[in-house]
Amino acid sequence: MAKRKYKLCIIDDEVVVCKRLQQFFTKAKYEVETFVDSKSAAERISEVRFDVVVTDIRMDNIDGMEILSLVQKKGEPTKVIMITGYATIEIAREAQAKGAFDFISKPFRPQELLKVIEKATKELENSGTKEE
Amino acid sequence: MGQKKNDKEEVSLFSILKSDFSSGLNDSAYEQEENKLNQALLERPSFSVKARLTLAFFILFLVSATISITAMIINSRIKKGIQLVTLADKFANEIQHVRRIEKNYFLYGSDLSEVSQHLDNAQQFLERASFELGHDIGSIELGEINHYLGGYRLLSDSLIKGGNIKDFMESKEYQEIAVRLRDYGSKMLETSLDISKKERQFIFSATENSRRIILILIAVFLFFSIFIASHIYKHIITRLNRLMVATQQFASGDFLPITPKRKYRDEFSLLVIALNHMMYELDKRQQLLIESHRLRAIGNLTAGVAHELNNPINNIILTAEVLKDGFGELSKAEIKDAINDLVNQGERAQQIVKNLLDYARESETQSDYLYINEILEETVQLVKNQIKLSKISLEENYRKTLSPIYGDRKLLVQVFLNLILNAIDAMPKGGNIILDVTESKQTGFLSVTITDTGTGISDHILNSIFNPFFTTKPTGQGTGLGLAVSRGIIEKHGGSISVKSSQGVGTTFTVHLPTVPIPADIKDKSD
Repeated sequence: MAKRKYKLCIIDDEVVVCKRLQQFFTKAKYEVETFVDSKSAAERISEVRFDVVVTDIRMDNIDGMEILSLVQKKGEPTKVIMITGYATIEIAREAQAKGAFDFISKPFRPQELLKVIEKATKELENSGTKEE
Repeated sequence: MGQKKNDKEEVSLFSILKSDFSSGLNDSAYEQEENKLNQALLERPSFSVKARLTLAFFILFLVSATISITAMIINSRIKKGIQLVTLADKFANEIQHVRRIEKNYFLYGSDLSEVSQHLDNAQQFLERASFELGHDIGSIELGEINHYLGGYRLLSDSLIKGGNIKDFMESKEYQEIAVRLRDYGSKMLETSLDISKKERQFIFSATENSRRIILILIAVFLFFSIFIASHIYKHIITRLNRLMVATQQFASGDFLPITPKRKYRDEFSLLVIALNHMMYELDKRQQLLIESHRLRAIGNLTAGVAHELNNPINNIILTAEVLKDGFGELSKAEIKDAINDLVNQGERAQQIVKNLLDYARESETQSDYLYINEILEETVQLVKNQIKLSKISLEENYRKTLSPIYGDRKLLVQVFLNLILNAIDAMPKGGNIILDVTESKQTGFLSVTITDTGTGISDHILNSIFNPFFTTKPTGQGTGLGLAVSRGIIEKHGGSISVKSSQGVGTTFTVHLPTVPIPADIKDKSD
């Protein structure tokens, strides 16, 4: 399905999340960059174009909503998927209203996230905006 | 115990509720304490206020009755004295007549028979005197006079009779009779005048005495009035004051029972028992209120805990899935790392739950020497998830070298937990909470301030916020008991709680708590 490696950016202040998703999505043939620190993630996003950004909502410094608006400001067709905790579902819905592709609630299985990401990349392909 | 049975039935609902709260409030412990105190109060010998007052007034009555009767006796004695004086004067008057006739008889040889009339009169007065005065007064003198009178009469009769005999006047017998007659006459007059004089003196001194008795009566009355007043003051007014102070203490949450202080039990003892019972009931209700509010606080904390708990659970699921998915392909080092993560995240989840469970499970209320910093650290552990979730930053400025306080750790944690949760609620869009611990300006006290940068409290409700059931939160979210319970707890610890707020800037709650000197074994006691 995927002819090329999609660029994936994963932001979560939980080290274990980054570590495991890195392992999982690398194995699933994605080009993965993970960030524990949302500030350096934001810097990286402004430099590089990602296909899908997966971000936790509740983080110190820059939170998931700010990441979303940062991506949207760049005007690229990057899909943003929010990770929500128990108490942030409301914010996740708000994020979706603001243009986030989808949200996934903690705790989740990596396969579930993979499905959401596949859906996002499919949309990217269908909309024909895929370049290179 | 029998009397207590009814009460027990009444509170049985609360007991059930309490056991549901896994509360440490032991009904029977309360009852035992109360019964012990009641016994101490009732064990004393009874000497009621009624009996005391009755006794005091009875003594007063006896004393004043004695004095009055004495005065009455003196009075009637004076009356008799006056009668005696009157009669003695009249008697003397008659005798003076007699003596004039006697004198004329001896000088001019006039008729002596006229004396018998006057002697009869005198005799009459004499009889009246002994009849009216009885044998009390001047009976000796009257007897003497009677004797002289009788003698005089006989002598005068014999003189009258002798007048018919010739040369009687020259006879020796006549001379003797004349001498004795004069002697009796003068003695009668002397004695009667003497009686009159003595009696006048007596009347004078008795009048003087009765005036003195009136003064003594006034003094005795004054003395007894002061005694009874001081008795009333001591046994009623000071007791009432003491009870008033005690009820005020109860009202402020200082639940110390009233203990027996007097040797005897009286009507107040029953009132004290009733008040103590009220106090124990109030204390139980207060404990119940605190308990239910504690559960509510735990409820408030669960959102934060559930959110925080999702992180290690998520980590465990992700790690386990990756292990399962790529089991054959992973290197030994990768597998080891994954397993370590599983263990660590499991422990992390355990730790998150542990603090809350510790707080929820703990039920024994017991006082101990405590360091305020430890209390605050424990509180912060409980709310830290909530703080993180609400995008609030917490600043902690603790003075390290403060004297310990004496109190109940769980209750104090509840107060600070409540204040911090309120601060979080006041800042829905995030902000800062500053915890400061300093020595209070008032010596022997420390103060903890909890400052938020929230919405603030408007002036017109600032005075009501400590009232029970006052809440600004939407229905179903706040009980309105948090601050009331907090104030109750702080006052029970001998401290106070105050608030300052300006709208749009934030609110500062200040808790003053008394410190205690460090005992030598503090290190052992505060483990």
